[in-house]
Amino acid sequence: MEHLTSPKLTPGVHCLSLRHKGMYVTSMPYPEESQFYDAYDATAYWCVETQRGFGPDGAPVRPDCCQGDRDCCKH
Amino acid sequence: MAKYSWPEKPTLLGTPVKRLDGPDKVTGRARYTHDINRPGMIYGKIVRSPYPHAKVVSIDLSAAEKAPGVKATLAYMKPGDEVHYQGDPVAAVAADTEERARDAARLVRVRYDALPQVSSEAQAMAADGPKWSTTQPNTRAGQRAETGDLEAGFRQAGHIVEQTYSTHVITHVCLETHGAVCEWDGDKLTAWVSTQGVHQCAQGFAQALGIPQTNVRVITQYMGGGFGSKFAPDSQGIICAKLAKAAKAPVKLMLDRKEEHLDTGNRPSAFAKIRAGVSSGGKLTAFDGQSWGTGGAGAGSGFPLPYLYQFPNRRRVHTDVYINAGQQRAMRAPGHPQGCFLTEILMDELADRVKMDPVEFRIKNAPPLAPNAQWIKYFQEGAKRFGWDKRHATGDPTPGPIKTGMGVSAHLWGGAGRGSQAHVDLMSDGSVVVKCGTQDIGTGTRTLVAIVAAETFGLPVSAVKPEIGDTIYPFSGGSGGSTTAASVTPAIRTTSVNALDQLFAKVAPTLGVTPDQLAAEGGRVFVRGNNSKGLSWKDACKLIGTEPISVDGKWEDGLSSSGTSGVQFAEAEVDIETGVVRVKRILAMQDCGLIVDKLTAESQAYGGVIAAINFALFEDRILDRVTGQMVNPNMEWYLLAGMSDVPKIDIVLNNMPERGVIGIGEPPTVSTASAIANAVRNATGATIRSLPLHPHKVLAALEQERAGGTN
Repeated sequence: MEHLTSPKLTPGVHCLSLRHKGMYVTSMPYPEESQFYDAYDATAYWCVETQRGFGPDGAPVRPDCCQGDRDCCKH
Repeated sequence: MAKYSWPEKPTLLGTPVKRLDGPDKVTGRARYTHDINRPGMIYGKIVRSPYPHAKVVSIDLSAAEKAPGVKATLAYMKPGDEVHYQGDPVAAVAADTEERARDAARLVRVRYDALPQVSSEAQAMAADGPKWSTTQPNTRAGQRAETGDLEAGFRQAGHIVEQTYSTHVITHVCLETHGAVCEWDGDKLTAWVSTQGVHQCAQGFAQALGIPQTNVRVITQYMGGGFGSKFAPDSQGIICAKLAKAAKAPVKLMLDRKEEHLDTGNRPSAFAKIRAGVSSGGKLTAFDGQSWGTGGAGAGSGFPLPYLYQFPNRRRVHTDVYINAGQQRAMRAPGHPQGCFLTEILMDELADRVKMDPVEFRIKNAPPLAPNAQWIKYFQEGAKRFGWDKRHATGDPTPGPIKTGMGVSAHLWGGAGRGSQAHVDLMSDGSVVVKCGTQDIGTGTRTLVAIVAAETFGLPVSAVKPEIGDTIYPFSGGSGGSTTAASVTPAIRTTSVNALDQLFAKVAPTLGVTPDQLAAEGGRVFVRGNNSKGLSWKDACKLIGTEPISVDGKWEDGLSSSGTSGVQFAEAEVDIETGVVRVKRILAMQDCGLIVDKLTAESQAYGGVIAAINFALFEDRILDRVTGQMVNPNMEWYLLAGMSDVPKIDIVLNNMPERGVIGIGEPPTVSTASAIANAVRNATGATIRSLPLHPHKVLAALEQERAGGTN
């Protein structure tokens, strides 16, 4: 089961350098969470190459940005 | 009984155990990253953009390189790069003293081409407003959710409330600022970092510097607050490591308070225009919310809405708004305090429409009672404890300028863990060492590690030596999401149980029994049911021989779970002549599964409540609308509660050992601000739908109420 509030980053789609806190805490999904609110995304992202919320090209990093043919993306 | 379970009759679990490191902290022996000093160490300083939005034209390091004591310089950006917020790092220097590093930083000449900047959500959303980026739009459609039949829900409504609610941006204000001390030995890096995740930080250093992770050691023995903002080396960590490499000397680079406010994260703002319906009988029928918020330069701002209560027909559409300000980071229960406030103020307004008591109204619309959903119980029990029956209707009728009111709010959090590993050594002299690569971020994890091992071995907590905060110890996750206790304590329990089994195997022949007949309690290893037939712990360990019992273990399922609930009550006093709000008392009803240490669990709740009082009444990151500069990047004008602002706080923890361990770091900070705001509404009769509850807002709401009403 996926977290309701954590984004799903897909290898092959999203840049492998994209990071968020959920990737670093050893949490478990909370199965009943969806009873109390709908999905939302409060996630802060960063690039593992730059260690900040902007990629090597200076643009922000987020799942919608860090995919496809962005020059700095690593797949 | 399953091999791995918590004891049915614990002697330590759930009792108030004082922090093992308390004396070290209060005497100054505890060494935080700020306190680390290495032989030959020099100091780093980052040059940051004064502009919230600009293009870098040129960076000239030559004068800085020639400055006295300078050992290294570094251009972090290059000509043509775009800075997106005040405080964006541009260059750095390292010198033999902090003063010389600051002097040299001032000699770095950066030419900027200033660009129009966006400093508010309203500016960003204006059709003809300035742009936060030369390449990116000012807004982005966020998540959208729709359930049920919205129009049918509104047709069922006897009353409809339509209002706009909001919360503001606050920063983490970690008492220990972000930073690191980096020291190279050839191609191996040792970094003392103020971090919430030593193993995670090591990975960050390795990947950003292009070195093997096995060449990085990260140490965090003590940490002065992170609240979600310290999971990676960040730019300052990488800059520190690069300066150390260039200077061939250890470098200390700790941020100052201004840098901390500008560039280490914040809680995003939250706005929502809400239309909500309630039946004449007090059942929620419909919720339609358009929400937006800013997480700063290019970062999201999502939050749950509606929160917790059961609107059968609902729609929510969110928009992320980008401005030229530091990016958001996870902050203690990301999204929940915002969603809770926006929903809970609405709940009181709806309760008034149907003339129901707010507690009764919430009980009517709360999710049904369950182990992870104790709200109905807490509303009922909390109301009795708090004296809710003495609450007057909205608007304190007492003559005079001081009005008093009560408010209530509810919250939830997940808090499940997994994945930690541990190592236990039992020595022949009876000493016990427990190693785990977790870190104590001020929550008491070091003490929890010792408690669980001591409980398992039947020893006092002082007999266990916990070793944490170092990547030389077995892997553990970052301390965030209230996952640490639920990740670490099962690993310590399983590893300790396995070590004890090995000790029993050594002792059993001496006592003429089989290992499964043995127990360890009260500093003795003895035959179960015959306490006199046994050995003291020390004598038992003498049978270990020259080779210690060394056991590796890991988190196993069944010792922890997820899902906590809480309710908070607040009583506040409002001076309607000055607008000043004072919180008189808070009652926090909270569960976290099996309580490991009552004292540190309560401490988490106290801290969460006080942090939320800051959110409600004091903190506010203020950006100048014209220049985009933060006008209060300090601890003088960025307000925080003082001791006299902290009210009486009663914590009632509901111990639920059958659920296993669940984290408590985040949930207690979610509800407080909403309960206070509802107490202010109850006191004054004026609804303040926007945090913080600063005096000018209170006075404006009172004025509006006198002019015709805020409801």
